[in-house]
Amino acid sequence: MNVSSPQPLLVVGAGIAGITAALEAAEAGKEAVLVEREQAVGGRVLRSHQYFPKLCPPSCGMEINVRRLEKNPRIRVLTGAQVAKADRSANGWSVAIAVSPRFVNERCTVCGDCSKVCPAKVPDPFNLGMNEVPAIRLPHPDAWPRRFVLDRSACPSGCKACVDACTYDAIDLNAAGREETIEASAVVLATGWSPYPIEKLPELGGGRFQDVVANVNFERLASPSGPTGGKILRPSDGTPPKKIAFVQCAGSRDVNHLPYCSAVCCLASLKQATYVKEQIPDAEVTMYYIDRRAPGRNEDVLTKVAATEGVKLVKGKVGKIEECAGGLKLRLEDVEAGRILDAFADLVVLATGMVSSLKGEKPPFGVGMDDDGFGLDNPGASLFIAGVARRPEDVAASVRDATGAAAKALVAARRSA
Amino acid sequence: MEKIGLFLCTGCEIGAAIKTDGLESLAKKGGAKSVVMHPFLCSEEGVAAIRKAVDDGSVDSVLIAACSPRAKTAEFRFDPLKVSVERIGLREQVAWSHPHGEEDTQMLAEDLLRMGLVRIKKNILPKPLAETIEKTVLVVGGGVAGLSAAKAAAGMGHPVVLVESSARLGGSMAGVKDAAPEQPPYGELHKNTIGELISAVQGNASVRVLLQARTVHIAGQPGQFTVDVESPSGKETFLAGAIVQATGASPYDATKLGDLGYGLTPDVVTSVDLDRMIAKGEIRRPSDGKPPRRILFVQCAGSRDPAHLPYCSSECCVTTLRQVAAVHRDLPGMECAVVYRDMRTPGQMEHFYQAVQEQPGSMFTRGEVAKVEKGPEGNLVVRLKDSLLGPDAALQADLVVLAVGMIPNSADSEAIRALRDARVGAEKGDSDVQRAHAAKVAEELAFHEGTEILNLEYRQGPDLPVLRYKFSDSHYICFPYETRRTGIYAAGTVRAPMDAAQAAEDGWGAGLKTVQCISAATRGEAVHPRAGDISVADFSLQRCTQCKRCTEECPFGAINEDVKYTPQYNPMRCRRCGICMGCCPERIINFPEYSVDAVGSMVKAIEVPDELDEKPRVVAFLCENDALPALDEAAARRLSWNPWVRVIPVRCLGAVNVIWIADAMARGIDGVLLIGCRKGDDYQCHYMTGSELANKRMENIQETLTRLKLDSTRVRILEIGRNEFDRIPQIFAEFEKVIEETGPNPMKGF
Amino acid sequence: MAPLADVFPSAEFRDDLAGRGGATAARCYQCATCSSVCQLAPDDGPFPRRQMLKAQWGLGDQLVNDPAVWLCHQCNDCTVRCPRDAKPGDVMQTVRSLVVEKLATPAFMGRLVAKAGSTWPLLLGAPFLFWVLVLYAVTGLQVPAEMKEYKDVVPHWLIYAVFFPVAGLVTLAIFPSGLRFWNLLGSSGRRSGSFVPNLVPVLIEISTHKRFGSCDAAASRRWGHFALLWGFVGAAVTSGLLLLAIYVLKSEMPLPLLHPFKVLGNLSAVLLVVGGAILLYNRLVGGDRTGSSTAFDNFFLFVVILVIATGVLTEVGRFQFQPALNTWIYILHLTVVLCLFATFPYSKFAHMVYRMLAMVHERMTRPV
Repeated sequence: MNVSSPQPLLVVGAGIAGITAALEAAEAGKEAVLVEREQAVGGRVLRSHQYFPKLCPPSCGMEINVRRLEKNPRIRVLTGAQVAKADRSANGWSVAIAVSPRFVNERCTVCGDCSKVCPAKVPDPFNLGMNEVPAIRLPHPDAWPRRFVLDRSACPSGCKACVDACTYDAIDLNAAGREETIEASAVVLATGWSPYPIEKLPELGGGRFQDVVANVNFERLASPSGPTGGKILRPSDGTPPKKIAFVQCAGSRDVNHLPYCSAVCCLASLKQATYVKEQIPDAEVTMYYIDRRAPGRNEDVLTKVAATEGVKLVKGKVGKIEECAGGLKLRLEDVEAGRILDAFADLVVLATGMVSSLKGEKPPFGVGMDDDGFGLDNPGASLFIAGVARRPEDVAASVRDATGAAAKALVAARRSA
Repeated sequence: MEKIGLFLCTGCEIGAAIKTDGLESLAKKGGAKSVVMHPFLCSEEGVAAIRKAVDDGSVDSVLIAACSPRAKTAEFRFDPLKVSVERIGLREQVAWSHPHGEEDTQMLAEDLLRMGLVRIKKNILPKPLAETIEKTVLVVGGGVAGLSAAKAAAGMGHPVVLVESSARLGGSMAGVKDAAPEQPPYGELHKNTIGELISAVQGNASVRVLLQARTVHIAGQPGQFTVDVESPSGKETFLAGAIVQATGASPYDATKLGDLGYGLTPDVVTSVDLDRMIAKGEIRRPSDGKPPRRILFVQCAGSRDPAHLPYCSSECCVTTLRQVAAVHRDLPGMECAVVYRDMRTPGQMEHFYQAVQEQPGSMFTRGEVAKVEKGPEGNLVVRLKDSLLGPDAALQADLVVLAVGMIPNSADSEAIRALRDARVGAEKGDSDVQRAHAAKVAEELAFHEGTEILNLEYRQGPDLPVLRYKFSDSHYICFPYETRRTGIYAAGTVRAPMDAAQAAEDGWGAGLKTVQCISAATRGEAVHPRAGDISVADFSLQRCTQCKRCTEECPFGAINEDVKYTPQYNPMRCRRCGICMGCCPERIINFPEYSVDAVGSMVKAIEVPDELDEKPRVVAFLCENDALPALDEAAARRLSWNPWVRVIPVRCLGAVNVIWIADAMARGIDGVLLIGCRKGDDYQCHYMTGSELANKRMENIQETLTRLKLDSTRVRILEIGRNEFDRIPQIFAEFEKVIEETGPNPMKGF
Repeated sequence: MAPLADVFPSAEFRDDLAGRGGATAARCYQCATCSSVCQLAPDDGPFPRRQMLKAQWGLGDQLVNDPAVWLCHQCNDCTVRCPRDAKPGDVMQTVRSLVVEKLATPAFMGRLVAKAGSTWPLLLGAPFLFWVLVLYAVTGLQVPAEMKEYKDVVPHWLIYAVFFPVAGLVTLAIFPSGLRFWNLLGSSGRRSGSFVPNLVPVLIEISTHKRFGSCDAAASRRWGHFALLWGFVGAAVTSGLLLLAIYVLKSEMPLPLLHPFKVLGNLSAVLLVVGGAILLYNRLVGGDRTGSSTAFDNFFLFVVILVIATGVLTEVGRFQFQPALNTWIYILHLTVVLCLFATFPYSKFAHMVYRMLAMVHERMTRPV
């Protein structure tokens, strides 16, 4: 390729969008630096059990992407790294990257001896705090770079049990962070999203009742690497639920919360309904919706799930959820029947939406945002946004617009070089 | 390879699990020139030891017996042009998954070592391609996606030829006045910027636009496509390195929508018709030319309907909102009633939905149109069912607009191919019955005649293979651009239903993919999913029987045929999956470091104990993308499984040659497992059809078994998800039970 | 001829509604959160989701006969939770104002009060002028040197001579409106049973404000409304008792502070002050949470507050103010009371009648 700029493309965020942007650019012959805040790449997608509409595991595509990352000599991945400062330079951006201390270095073989002796337990961020893990551990089964990480803040004072246990001299409790500056020709921001906190939905039981869970948590419950080993169980008593309710637009399409549609929640719930029916065939699943949004061929998922015995889709937004004997009571109007329902469920999944990670933060690179915190391309500054940082969308769309963003960034880089 | 160096790691419990001294002598016996044992092979010191041996020329191939080939890849990577590397996953397959110090564990490790040794012995160093690569990008289709792709490729320094079949650029967005908002605050109509895009492309010196033109013939491979284009200025031939197909979609044929009143009066129109009226600035009733007072929009006209288009066309809801906003702007006070099933305004389009709702005269209801009738005043009466207005509401309207869905402008390559074959068969078939059958097939497929778009000279048909609903085939979630024709990328609505803004993005992405493909070809590397692979297949054509299996089965159509059906391999179309290798009965297709002989030798290297030892043996071929990682994960969790299983990773189940199974049976191995990815409509196979083909080949395998007088239960093919590590021990245990019931392989000891 | 179509969207109705502050109905996307959080909506006839759709489409014909419009107490739980900020509580109130106007007898009075936002000077000015002229004619509008009794300013007989006929006229005016409304309601559902036996539980319900109590967003409004209702009832009863005291018992006026009639009157005043204050506070502080206000709402509340304020000032002022000031305060008081009386069938006050009828209708159409 005729990219004359010798400076790399900088991609911030190594979720599916960021990985895609960096890889597509690097495979086109461009140098790329991929910066990720967490200690391993993969972002939100790896926390999903399956993708819709194919109902396939995200780690399948990620396996290919990791192989691509490993093989490509033009790509550099910095994990545990954040943008500290970014200034416009003559040919793009001069970006200071702060790399946090890496207490477990590349000598780690993931043998696990350190985990076994670690006395400190922390809530597992990968499983959204639903279980506890040792302070030193593999962050998740598909973690790449494949190394253990240490939550240093959880270490008991003076403890060096892991250091003593490590045969490979891979742990340095005094490791220091560092900073490096990258002269980037263009930047793609793919900082992703966070789930809308269910605590902000107390009227739907969010944060009040154990058996009201967010869709992202439910995804972990269904995953073999999740806190229950993939068994769908009620958090309150660990029993399999029999009546599961999916409450759509929990916070989305709502001026009191997120005024936009989060674009994925309908399909996420339909997909999760299939998890339930697969594991608990006699379970009754009801999805309460405003509009069933399954664009494109995703319609097939809707058609299939709606036709499944024991699955009902009811038009009507749930207004209130209260505890009742043995479970939860959902109050709504069944719009088609024109009646108020007090529906019973023993597990409620709130289909919460996506909040742009740019929202509320001091935006890096001075990126422009809309009122909802989604980033806006700035071609003049060779700055492009990809994935959910740009707008609420599913994985397929993220991959598409990440490739598009990489293309735009390469063109801009070439122009300004 | 000749000078094999075995590097045996004893760390990560390997040293504790097995007697490594035994392995050392075994390796020497098996032909290893040198054996280095290291307690921490992936450390700097360990890697330095390997590097030293490579650099001083004492070894030409490195057999690393340590962790899984998926682990520590950076540490154990050496120049593939200089040294051959194979890896034995002793840690995952032995130390972490089997009891330490036991006889079975030791036997397993020894077998794995034997297998590794014979495998690497068969490897040869690859000779990379060095071809002349054309940089020009061909874009077929001049709509939003095609124009964007052209802009992208040209922006990255590539010459572009854009071929558009009509007389003007812009596709379905040309002649549309407004665009849905793409920028905040998302409440107002934006100007349709297709004109600017057209000017940018036309004004770009790197882009040559050919209007009223068609690609009549495309031959060759990525980096070297020869393209013939016919246009009013004549026929011309040029070279292209890669291709974007952005041929868009057509509105669904409204004449099939009589149920929704189309054809009843001229006042039932499609959304495309209304766009024309809006562009002309004359929103009128076609029947009498008067401005309507109330327009009723019917959503999902043809979409989400098994009788028409089962899928959602994705953009119609927002298109209707755009049109309602335009109507309110041009004819204030007009009533616009929208009847929808579900309003689909994802993301920030929700803001647009609300803004349009707030415009005076906007009315929305969920419901379905039951019937459209003529009204008494020359207007229309629309009867709704299950609407929110009541179970059987009826409403008068002056104009009814059907928001019609989209059908991709694709060609069903496989059907066209079948039609062509049938025509030949009808003429040259061996018997009357065959000719008659072929003629019948040809008649049924006749409607595909003349639907070709790209006119590829590919054995498997002239166009991109399509998925259900005729959108082009790809791994549309993770790798949406990866079609089944290397170097040819689908973009825009021919790939999936999408709106104009998304099609533009898609065009940009496809533009990058063409540049990437050309870049990889220049480096002599494969593209996705084995990006960077520099080895290519070798066809020993002197032994070819012209059976056509490879030319039929290659998922990427990489192999053409000459007139005698001899395969003609196009290395730059090749994705290195090895499916051709798997299907070849003569075993003449091989890769330098991945051959029928090499894997067959691995099978044959397995020591099969005597029947009296009651230690059955199972060979499991595992897909290296999904099944092998699942196995590694099971090991990482220290799950344990049957020690009699010998795992051989393969690039794809489709790359498993039946001869390996025959070899295993002949060797006295009791059973063979093939574990790979999901097949079918929602396939997960990264080579698209590999799993499907492997399953089809099972029939042949059953024949082989019968011929060998063996029970067919000895071979089983299974699907596993990348995340289903917990099923690994279970699968092996269940298969062990089957083998036990079937009894030992009678060929043992022969 | 058979009806061409059974849904008749009316742009006029939509515009009318929008003009009164009900434009937000256009935003509704029919999620039904409103119905599900409404504590007053019956399970088999939830509101206000359906009414929002009808308002958006301009189906006025389906709204004027809809009892649900009146069963709504505008506690605004719906408005607080509405994800589109379509303010169903306000829309319902707007629809009510529209029904009051449509059914007004005579019609011009309905229009006059409905446009109180601009006609308020007339609505208040006319009774003021009336009192000034009448008093000028009867007493020469003399300010007494010492304010002992208000009869020195306005003779008792004159008060009764004015308010009795006005009350009669108002009753005459509301009666046909109520009857039309009752008949319209009849077209929305089959009634069984008779009126009076169903009226009694409704009156009990109204007197306890039980339904109102289930509101969340505006819980305090229940007590404001409750106090106001009983304050007015108390004031009305006191007026009747005063008639008794003046003309039958011939008690000396003004009554001593501890006279039971006086105590009742003052108690009513306290209730009115408290109720009015709560409602005013809600209006001013509640803001969006409890719905925004329309001219229809504001005018009524404004008059009620004025009645209370001038009433209290009148009573207190007797001991505190200059007689001249007192005189004018008293005249003002009579002015706003007259205004309140005279606009009763056309202002928000009329909801007393319409809501009561709707509640009776609802009881009578309830499945047994």
